[in-house]
Amino acid sequence: MAASAKLAELRRKLAERFPSVPRTAARVWPTGIAALDQATGGLPLSAITEIVCAAPSCGGHLLLVQLLARTRATRTRVALVDSTNCFDPASVEEDLLAHLLWVRCRGTHQALQAADLLARDANLGLVVLDLRRAPESDLRRIPGPQWYRLQRAVEPTDLALVVETPRPSVPSAQVRFALRSSHVFAVLERERATLTAELAPALQRQRQQIASAG
Amino acid sequence: MFSVLHIADFALHAVLRTERDTAHRPAALFAGTSKKSIVLAANPLARRAGVEPGMTAPQAVARCPSLIIRAPRPEAENEARAVLLAIGFTLSPAIEDTAPGICTCDLRGLRLAPEPLAASAVERLGELGLPATAGIARTPLLALYAARAASPSEDAFNWIEVERDLPSSPSRLRRGEQAMARRRFGEGGRARSIGGRQPDGARRSPSTILCPAAGDGGIVSTRTAGSGDPALQRSHTGNVGQGLPTPPSAAPRGIAPERRGREAPPCRNSTLADTDRTELAAERWEEASPSPHDTIVAEDVGLSARDAVLTVADEKHFLSPLPLAAADPSPELAAILDGWGLRTLGDLTALPRDEIVRRFGGEGLALWQRAAGGAPRPLRPVVPPQTFSAQMEFEHEVETLEPLLFVLRRFSERLALELQASQHVAAELHLALRLEDETQHARSFRLPEPTADVEILFRALHTHLESLTTAASIVAVALTLTPARPLVRQQGLFETGLRDPHGFAETLARVSALVGADHVGTPRREDTHRPDVVTLAAPPAVVSPPAAPPVHDRVGLPLRRFRPPLPARVEFTEGRATYLWTEHVRGEIAQQSVPYPSSGDWWQRDHAWARREWDIALAEGGLYRLLLVGDAWFLEGEYD
Repeated sequence: MAASAKLAELRRKLAERFPSVPRTAARVWPTGIAALDQATGGLPLSAITEIVCAAPSCGGHLLLVQLLARTRATRTRVALVDSTNCFDPASVEEDLLAHLLWVRCRGTHQALQAADLLARDANLGLVVLDLRRAPESDLRRIPGPQWYRLQRAVEPTDLALVVETPRPSVPSAQVRFALRSSHVFAVLERERATLTAELAPALQRQRQQIASAG
Repeated sequence: MFSVLHIADFALHAVLRTERDTAHRPAALFAGTSKKSIVLAANPLARRAGVEPGMTAPQAVARCPSLIIRAPRPEAENEARAVLLAIGFTLSPAIEDTAPGICTCDLRGLRLAPEPLAASAVERLGELGLPATAGIARTPLLALYAARAASPSEDAFNWIEVERDLPSSPSRLRRGEQAMARRRFGEGGRARSIGGRQPDGARRSPSTILCPAAGDGGIVSTRTAGSGDPALQRSHTGNVGQGLPTPPSAAPRGIAPERRGREAPPCRNSTLADTDRTELAAERWEEASPSPHDTIVAEDVGLSARDAVLTVADEKHFLSPLPLAAADPSPELAAILDGWGLRTLGDLTALPRDEIVRRFGGEGLALWQRAAGGAPRPLRPVVPPQTFSAQMEFEHEVETLEPLLFVLRRFSERLALELQASQHVAAELHLALRLEDETQHARSFRLPEPTADVEILFRALHTHLESLTTAASIVAVALTLTPARPLVRQQGLFETGLRDPHGFAETLARVSALVGADHVGTPRREDTHRPDVVTLAAPPAVVSPPAAPPVHDRVGLPLRRFRPPLPARVEFTEGRATYLWTEHVRGEIAQQSVPYPSSGDWWQRDHAWARREWDIALAEGGLYRLLLVGDAWFLEGEYD
C-alpha cells in the first residue's frame, strides 16, 4: 500500500474513531485570482494556505497586493507579518494600506510568535505570514508542532492564514499553491491588473475537498 | 430604612487583602514590628490556633508557627475604606463613612427589597477580600446593632449557649462558662454582650429576619455575640474617633469597660504618635474588646452572603435582650445601673425616660435613647470620588509579577466600582512604578473604547507588565484612570468597526511587546519623494470606505525591499552592467533599464539625497532594482 493511501486510511479511521473532533468548515474566500479560485474556490477560511514562491520574481508580492485589494473592498482587516521587513508600502496604492496591520519582525521566530498572536484575534479576516526570504536554516528549525499550533489557532476563527515560503515548509497547510516561474523583464512595463490576472499559482496540495462559498 | 455594612477587624482585613494567599492562613495584626508588640487582631484561623489579642509576638508564634504577622498600614486601610464606600454606593447614593469598616447607607426611597441588595454587597465585599456583614433597620444605630449581630461567629454560637443559661448574676455561671466569658469579654463580658438570649432556648438559623410572629417573642435569631460600636455611637453624638478605650481599671469589676475605639484600634494612622501610648491603648482596646470571636465572618464558617444580612423588623424584641454595654454607657453610669440590677437594654428602657433624665441628666437621656435604638438622622453624605487613582507602597520590594498583578487587580476592581458609581468609564490608564533605585517607570494606556469593565482594565495592565523588565525591584505602584463619559453613539449598519476592540488592543499590545511598538501599525506614506519613508500609525477604529480606483493603474510588479539595501559589486562591459555580486544574489545581468535619477531635500544640509536606479533582469531569472548612491552600488529590492 502506498504511503499516501496509508495516510488516507489512517485519517479515515481517526475520523470514525473521534467524530467529535472539530472539522474544518469548508468555507473559502475568493481572491480574484482566477487560477487560485478555480482550483479551490479561494483561500480556505479557518485554515492555513501555503504559497510556495519557488522562483525569484514569481509574483508572491503581486498576490499579496491582490489580497490587499480584495480585503480593502470588503473593509476586512489584514495583518501582514513580515519576517524580513521587506514590504514596500510605496509599491501599493495608499488606499490599500488603510486596513493593513504591518508587523515588521526581526526574524523567523519572532514572526511565528506574532502570527500565533494575530491568528487568534477575531478582528482580522486575513493574516499573511511572509517567510519568503526567511533563511533556509530558520525554516528547517521550525518544529512541526508549531505549524499545527498555528492551525489549531486558526480553526476556531473566521480568518484565512496565508504563509508565503520559498519551499514547501508548512505541514499543516490545508492548501498549498506554488508560483514556479519568474516574471520576465517586460512585465515591468505592463499594467499590474493584467499581471494579476495572469498569475497562475499551481495547486500542489489540497487536504480535503473545499466547497465554494462564492 | 438604613443599612450598615460592617467589616469586623477592619485593619487586619485591609492589610491581608493586599497580599496573595493570606485568606486561608492564620494571620494577626500587631501594633508594631518589635518583639514586644502585641496582637491587635487575629483572623479566625489564628484564633483557632490559640492566638489571642494581647499576646506578644513570641507568644503568638509559639502557638501558631505559621502565623502571618502584619502591622497596620494606613494606605491599605484607605484603600479598603474606598472599596467599602464604592460598594456602599451600589446600595444608595446617600452613604456615610461612619467609621473605619462601617458604612451607613440611607435606603429611604428604595423601591426594591433591601435584603438582596445588601446580600449582594456583602458578597461583593467578600470577593474583594473584605468579609462583611450587613444590618438593615429603621435607624442607623439599629442597623449597626444588626450588622454586628449578623456576624456569623462560631464562638457566638457557644456564647449563646452560655448566655441562654446565664443567670442574672455572674456568680451563678458555671466555672467553665465563667472562664470562657472572662476570657472572651474580660471581667465585664457578661454585661457587654448583646443579643443571643433566646427565650425558648433554641438555637436559631443564622438567617435572621426578626418578626414578632415567630412565637418566641419576636426574635427569630439573634445568634451572635457583639456589641454596640462605640465608634459609631460616637458618631451620633459627633465624637467619632475620639478617645481611647477606657482603661479596664476605670470600670468596676463586673462592669463592662467602655469599648470606644474597638473598630479603630491604635495603629500607625492613629492620631497618637507616642508608641507607648499606642501600645497601651492597644492593650486596653484588646482587653476591652469583647469579642474577638465575633469577627469570624460568613465565609469562615461557610455561610452565604444572605446569611450575613440581618433585618430588624421588631425593634423592641431585638433590643430587649441586648446587654447594656451595647449602648455604650460610661463606666460610672454602667456601675450604677449594674448596681440597680439592670443588665439589658430592655431593662433600661423599661424605666421611665424622664426618671432616668432626672437622675442622670443629658448623659442618661442619651444612653436611654441609644438603648431604644436611636432615631433616624441625616447622614453626612460621602461625595463620590472625582478622581480615580490608587497607590501603594509595598512592605517588601517586589521582584516578580504576581504580587504586583495582585495589587493592580485590587486597584482595578475598586476603581471600576467607583467609575460605575459615578457613571463614568475609563478612557486612559496611567501606571507608575517606583523602583528601588529611585527611578520610575511610567506608562499610559489609551483604551480603544472607554470602559469600566475590570477585566479589560486589568488585561491592559497585565499585557504590558508581562513583558516588562525593570532595572530594579519595585517599591511602590500607582494607578490612575482618566474618566470619560460612556459612548452613546450607535454604530451604523454597514460600519466595519472592530468586533472586539479591547481584544484587538490586547493583541496589539502583545505584538508590540514582541517586536517593539514602533514596528507595528498601519503604514502611512510621508509627503516626500525620498524613497522608503514610511511611518506606522495606530490602526483605525473603523476602516474607511475604499476610495475610488486610480485613473491609471500601476505598472509592473511591486518591490520586495532589502532593508538595508544589499551592498553590491557590479561588473561593466562596454559601459553596460553585465554581472552582479551581492551577499544573496549574484548572476549575469541579462537586461537593464535606463537609469532613473532622483534627488531631493537639496536645500537642507545633511538631508540632501541623490540616487540613480536601474531595473535589471538576471539571466537565471529575477527582476531587481539596482541602486547607485555616490560611488556605492546597492541592490535595493526584488520585483515580485
